[in-house]
Amino acid sequence: MNRDVLLWCLAVVAAISAAAAVALIVRTRALGARKRKFEAESAQRLAEAERSLLTARTDLQKFRDEQDSALQEAERTAEESTKAVLKGAARFLQSLAAEQTTLLDGIQRKYGGHAVLADLLDVNHANAQMARKAQGIAVMCGAPLGRRNQPASVYDVVRSAQGQIRNFSRVEIMQQSGIALKASAVAPVALAVAELLDNAASFSQHDAPIEVTFQRVQSNLCIVIDDAGVGMSDEDRQKATALLSGDNVPRLSQLGTQPKFGLPVVGLNARQYGFKVDVTGVSRYGGVRAVVLLPEELWTMEETPPPVQETPVRRIRHIPMAEDEPEDRTVHGLPKRGERQAPTASVTDAGGSSGKSARTLKKASRGAGGLAAIQRGTMSGRAVEVPSSEGTEDA
Amino acid sequence: MSDGPDDELELTSALVPLFVITNGRHLPADHEYEHTALVTAREGASAAVARALSPEARKVMDLVADGFLSVAEVSGHTHLPLGIVRILLAQLEEDSLILVRKPIPRVERAERELLSAVLDGLRTKFGA
Repeated sequence: MNRDVLLWCLAVVAAISAAAAVALIVRTRALGARKRKFEAESAQRLAEAERSLLTARTDLQKFRDEQDSALQEAERTAEESTKAVLKGAARFLQSLAAEQTTLLDGIQRKYGGHAVLADLLDVNHANAQMARKAQGIAVMCGAPLGRRNQPASVYDVVRSAQGQIRNFSRVEIMQQSGIALKASAVAPVALAVAELLDNAASFSQHDAPIEVTFQRVQSNLCIVIDDAGVGMSDEDRQKATALLSGDNVPRLSQLGTQPKFGLPVVGLNARQYGFKVDVTGVSRYGGVRAVVLLPEELWTMEETPPPVQETPVRRIRHIPMAEDEPEDRTVHGLPKRGERQAPTASVTDAGGSSGKSARTLKKASRGAGGLAAIQRGTMSGRAVEVPSSEGTEDA
Repeated sequence: MSDGPDDELELTSALVPLFVITNGRHLPADHEYEHTALVTAREGASAAVARALSPEARKVMDLVADGFLSVAEVSGHTHLPLGIVRILLAQLEEDSLILVRKPIPRVERAERELLSAVLDGLRTKFGA
């Protein structure tokens, strides 16, 4: 009896657990199906969301690009219009400074014998520095540099650069003759050297020397500027090299309130006129060694003719006589007075012209060549230009 | 003044400014190197020092190498203003490269009596 009851109980328990298990399985399956369905749906939604995100991103990027280019365009326009305004102003200053230099040249010659000359020299110095600044701004704005029509010796070009900095007497230039810069290179090289000299002067003690030497390396001419300054850090060197290459021109708006456009000006100039500048060297004083490397297109080995042709002293005293050359007449056709050949000044006779003096000595009592020479010298010393009282010698 | 917007400006001024030629030296005092003072190269002026001179100073040395020349003449022949030549001469004298002979000072006042006595003497002798 008890055993039956126990069996029944067992059977009931088994049946219940089987039913429970079946119910559980069914439920799990249903759940799994729902989960899969849900997952599929979410994946689809995710994909859609991702697609819209992508489009949104593309749109955003497009807008950003548009904005950037608009900004760049605006900056470029602003830079260009600033440059145009500044270029006009700089050109005006440039031509005024040039005009003033020419004027001062004349005034210095006019009052050359007067004590005011000392002040005029100072004014000219200030003006030369202003002219350099004006030229620098003009170059930064893409305006053409002033042009010189005459070739000049490299020594004179460096001396012209020397005059454009404040403490110019610190600059010592090695003598160099027989090398001339072509006319087109004179102004740009002078400006570049002036900026380098100014840097050398600014970054060294106010009494330290600045040395300029010349070297010929293969077909190039190097102008070497050594200063006794503090030198440059590696970072400064890299920056300077980038600026000097002329590839990396800073915007006017990046120059700041105390603009330093020395090196950019040198770089632009060098690139435009075809020379190279390097400041990475170390000078023998431990400062910076700047080298301006001029390719052979910019210079020649020709001697430059002196700017003013004049008669040497000895020839003035040995002018042929009227009888020897009957055509010796003034521009107005009047016969010239004979000129005395014996020197009236105590300048001794030159040995080399003995033949000529022998021919002319017999007429030594005539005329006053020596006196005229003294008079001419005195007069042209007092005035800018005094023509001979009897017309030109070669008339 | 420039004519067109992109015309190159032509620079006509002297390339080397005068204050560079004098290297910033001051003018000598008025009574020094008057324009009638005579200048000559000192004998045995050291060639080494002369070589280091600027081209302008060397030109002055060449001019006065053979004898005496007045300051005014030096100025005329070098085409440099008188003041610039005086500064160059001061530098050359400092370097002991030249000798300067000051002009004989002008007689302040001629003695009229002496002159008329001479004139009288001449008249009596030559019967003018």
